[in-house]
Amino acid sequence: MSKRTDLISQITTNIASYTAFKVSSELPFESGETPLYEKNMKTVYIGQEDLDVTEYAPTFSEDIMQTETTVNAYLTTDAKNQPSDIDSVVAGILAARTGVTNVFEQSSQVETEITDDYITYTFEFNFTNL
Amino acid sequence: MAVINTSAGNEAVLKLYDIVGDGNTTIIDANVLSIPFMQDVTVNNATGTFRYKTLDSGSESVVTTPATNQLSLNAIVDDDVFFGAAGTGVVVTDGLFGTSGNKTEIGFRIYFDGTDSGSKYLEGTGFISGLAPTVNPDAPLWVTPVTIEVNGDFTEAAVTP
Repeated sequence: MSKRTDLISQITTNIASYTAFKVSSELPFESGETPLYEKNMKTVYIGQEDLDVTEYAPTFSEDIMQTETTVNAYLTTDAKNQPSDIDSVVAGILAARTGVTNVFEQSSQVETEITDDYITYTFEFNFTNL
Repeated sequence: MAVINTSAGNEAVLKLYDIVGDGNTTIIDANVLSIPFMQDVTVNNATGTFRYKTLDSGSESVVTTPATNQLSLNAIVDDDVFFGAAGTGVVVTDGLFGTSGNKTEIGFRIYFDGTDSGSKYLEGTGFISGLAPTVNPDAPLWVTPVTIEVNGDFTEAAVTP
């Protein structure tokens, strides 16, 4: 399975108890010029994987390469009246990085941006494997 | 005059093999263990010295003593090479770990720029030593230093056509 698929599965598991929130595996997630996560609030959308293959260890016979995979996820909620369990949901999404296996480095971070009266959480997951 | 460039597709190559008969360096291809994933290799020919002072000189004098010859390298651990694999020859079947543990004397050739005709190499015999495989979560491949304690001289030669 791809890392995106693993991530969707783990996010779904981690926020399953917060019934107001959903996870979409839809691609692409744009309607016209508007991202669907702005249109469908409290739904997590997961982007396509970006890959970066770089040299991990040069050797005389064959260089060992590593693949760095970046996946972004998006969630929008009302900025003025945020769901009471939003912190737990965000924590659950960040923790979903552990659902991706066969990697030796994994990290996740979130940034927020308030536009008009809604807040968008942009998650970035990074995975490194050989 | 020319530099030896290992980045032009003619990389440094280390081959280990069983010593045949009385220690000559006849190589039986099936018994050769080529060390893959070498990250660096160092040939060390350290001539021993003895310094002494005399009353009639303002400076020390020196005489040479037998050299200490070593070949050392760091390599990413390959399963078959480190632990041995099916095949013929003690070096191939025992691998680096078994050869070191059994203190088996082996032959070696270090090719300076590949194995094409004309490439220079040093050969000799010695004992595998200094294995210390290590790994950590941020560097998930096992890497080990390897030292060949050379028994006697390095002998220079070139690959013949």
